Amino acid sequence: MAISSTYLSNPTISINAVDLTDQCTSAVINYVAEQLENTTFSNTSRSFTSGLFSNTVTVTLYQSYAAAETEASIYSLVGTTTTLVLKPASGATSATNPEYTLTGAYLSAHTPIAASLGELSTIDLEFSGGVLAKAVE
Amino acid sequence: MYTIISPRLGTPGDPYIPAEGVNIDALLNGGLISTDSVKKSSKVKSEPKEQ
Repeated sequence: MAISSTYLSNPTISINAVDLTDQCTSAVINYVAEQLENTTFSNTSRSFTSGLFSNTVTVTLYQSYAAAETEASIYSLVGTTTTLVLKPASGATSATNPEYTLTGAYLSAHTPIAASLGELSTIDLEFSGGVLAKAVE
Repeated sequence: MYTIISPRLGTPGDPYIPAEGVNIDALLNGGLISTDSVKKSSKVKSEPKEQ
């Protein structure tokens, strides 16, 4: 039985249209439809239906204060909504390399300084809400 | 009208046309794009007429 696995070697990410691929070390899309219980007396098992979608994208970026780098791209996004685009690989968008776009995602917090002695500084960001779309062409 | 400054957005110097959902203020504040300056017309004030 064939097992198809994905080895992420060159994924791409843009945040607010800014390509931050070369600063990103981790990205997770959580595509979530809230579950609402609709079980009744006539059921013998619990039953659920879909509620609101509650999507999030969490990313880890290397911090950089240089011009047009991480800090310049992220700092002004706090308290606002933006668009994120992520792909498993840098090639053309296809069924095997889908492009995910989260539009209207809210960034509530950012840690401009998150550093330890002797280590490269990284920041973790969580973008919440918004509409997730998947493109395959 | 905006102009690209950062190569992370495209070719610097090219006009930037924001896609839907892009936070323009954040790009401006971060120095990633600039607004094209509106050139003032070169009007020369006419001297007041002598009465």
